[in-house]
Amino acid sequence: MSLITALIRAASESGEPAAVLPEYAPLLLLLPLGGFLLTAAIGRRLGKLAHIVPLLAIVATWALSMSLAVPALLGDLGEAGASRELFTWIASGDLTFSMGIHVDALTGALLLVVTTVGALVHLYSVGYMSHDPGYWRFFAYLNLFMFSMLLLVLASNLLVVFAAWELVGLSSYLLIGFWYTKREPGLAAKKAFITNRVGDVGFALGLMGLVAVFGTLDIPTVLAGVAAGELTGTAATVIALLIFCGAVGKSAQFPLHVWLPDAMEGPTPVSALIHAATMVNAGVYLVARMSPLFAASPEAMLVVAAIGIFTAIFAASIAFTQTDIKRVLAFSTLSQLGYMFAALGVGAWVPAIFHLITHGFFKGLLFLGSGSVIHAVDGEQEMPKMGGLAKKIPITYATMLIGTIAIAGLPPLAGFWSKDEILGEAFKFGYTWVWLVGLVVAGATAFYMFRLMGLTFWGKSRIREDVHPHESPWTMTLPLILLAIPSIGIGVLLGFPVADGIIVHGLEPIFHTANEMLGHEHAKWQLFGIDGILMLASVTVASIGTAIGVRLFRSDNGDRIRAITARLQPLYVGSKGRWFFDDLNDLIFVRLGGRVAHAAWWFDRRIVDGAVNGVGALTSSGGRGLRQIQTGRVQNYALGIALGLAAMAIAYLVIGS
Amino acid sequence: MSMIAGHLEPYLVLSGLLFSIGSFGFLARRNAISMLMSVEIMLNAVNIAVVAFGAFVPALAGQGIAFAMLIIAVAAAEATVGLAIIIAIYRNRKTPLVDEYDTMRQ
Repeated sequence: MSLITALIRAASESGEPAAVLPEYAPLLLLLPLGGFLLTAAIGRRLGKLAHIVPLLAIVATWALSMSLAVPALLGDLGEAGASRELFTWIASGDLTFSMGIHVDALTGALLLVVTTVGALVHLYSVGYMSHDPGYWRFFAYLNLFMFSMLLLVLASNLLVVFAAWELVGLSSYLLIGFWYTKREPGLAAKKAFITNRVGDVGFALGLMGLVAVFGTLDIPTVLAGVAAGELTGTAATVIALLIFCGAVGKSAQFPLHVWLPDAMEGPTPVSALIHAATMVNAGVYLVARMSPLFAASPEAMLVVAAIGIFTAIFAASIAFTQTDIKRVLAFSTLSQLGYMFAALGVGAWVPAIFHLITHGFFKGLLFLGSGSVIHAVDGEQEMPKMGGLAKKIPITYATMLIGTIAIAGLPPLAGFWSKDEILGEAFKFGYTWVWLVGLVVAGATAFYMFRLMGLTFWGKSRIREDVHPHESPWTMTLPLILLAIPSIGIGVLLGFPVADGIIVHGLEPIFHTANEMLGHEHAKWQLFGIDGILMLASVTVASIGTAIGVRLFRSDNGDRIRAITARLQPLYVGSKGRWFFDDLNDLIFVRLGGRVAHAAWWFDRRIVDGAVNGVGALTSSGGRGLRQIQTGRVQNYALGIALGLAAMAIAYLVIGS
Repeated sequence: MSMIAGHLEPYLVLSGLLFSIGSFGFLARRNAISMLMSVEIMLNAVNIAVVAFGAFVPALAGQGIAFAMLIIAVAAAEATVGLAIIIAIYRNRKTPLVDEYDTMRQ
């Protein structure tokens, strides 16, 4: 009887029932986790067949996630999305952390990129890693990463998000240092891990702040509390900025950007999956997810926008002169992530996530393409030793050209739609400086990407005589082709008509609270008005960048380029040296920090340990001295007693009288 | 309470002499039994002094004897325990000489 009443009460209390995810939803997490565990356990014995289980697991995950992401993006799950409580993870007094998964349009956007690029990268790796002795280990790690990343975007509790945040960091560490017998990958892995730790400290402190204020880390509860005005003023700014610290680390924004270029030491599929399309987006996702918190603090928003747009132009300026093909793409990733943060900072939430999606596809494509190029020229990564590859590897060339046009922001490919929306909203919300810098970066992006294409594919061949370039196997070219399709079409599909497309309808409700707090209203989009002019401006700048890039690098223009670099010598040297940020870090943290640490070590050894050991030594030497009077002869002790008594008696007589 | 004739001083001198003999014996003798006997002499020296005070000082009348009885009882107990310890040690060490009881000394 009591059970029935309890059930009735539970049913009536839930009020407006949020949609419940289907029962198979946890499989999204269990499939990659199972793939990881199975491959880790028996993968070594499977040899060249080790990819079958992980690949099938990810393809199944992709199918499942599409069945959730598509309705979520189309708004079929309702504005609040759907969730499913799995179990209570930690119950400690009043503090409870539950493990639940939640899918709304924002999660759907992430799922779309993560599982699609993830599945294609798995397929690509079958070809790319086929000669590697650590074949099974690679797939085990990839599945572990997929599990962690999906947990990150699905979790409905910030503590689970934090755990997943660390798990993707671990997977990233393992995969960057995949070739652990070589020195550089090991160092790069450590650098990535340690740099991320710096940001994660901030993230953890921010979470503690949220627990202190709200007593829970359940995302909907926290966001509802923020929206109700329970967290304002300095407290909101501090907590928002602390959480942003985590995002800065994971998404490699200035000044924690140094790890991402070095992370290119890992295998190329890893660069494409983790360090371009998925993990580095986690920071953008986090800020977007916590949008009301940031909206509650104008100062925090300003910091986000400033750091984002600064990273965008800073990284773009470095990408101009790098010669390693993957490094150029890495700096390009930094720059594009900076774009997304700038968008978040000005309150252009939807364009930021839109750019996250399009960037995930075309940057994944570009990285996989660069892997195909490296594969073709026998492991060479330096662009000055390439050239003229267009005819030798036509599929790679064609797909990479699509990716390049997409990232350059030329219509009608994907990058144009999202980038234009970011710039347009930045301008309309009154952040003219963000718009202006963003416009310059858009031109710069087009330029350095066509420089990459020129050095790699056009002009005369500078490849070593004994290397014969060859097109990659189908397992590698098929993912390129499959990624080229969204790189062309996803912008139109999601973003057209502008300000009224699927992406806007899907994501707008998510950011409704934040927009209301900021007082942002969306004016109707006008082709023959301000929006048309802004669009024309961004297309013009992108075209100029493209034109200069193509003109300079179409054929062998070595003398002309050398003349230009000679004229801009200081800028060239600074850009080439990545504005000496690694050297600055070396100076501050390794040399000066090392000195301080050495002094602290000396202080600890001499003063702190010295005090403790000194007390010990004093006691033991005192004891050794006092031992001399313990003769062990009863008479001596008795004499002592007698003398003592006599002394006391005399003292009594003298003082007492 | 009947008063004893004479003075307090001779009793105290006797007590002091006995105490000195006891102390000397305790400090000078090496035999544990002798040392125990010296302790008994010292206790009895004190007893004489206490009883003498009880007899000659009006304020302490009667109390001295009670205190002396207590000391006799303590002395008996002390002798019992002391002898038992000495015999136990003697059985172990085969010597009554205290300066050879130095196992605890490093």
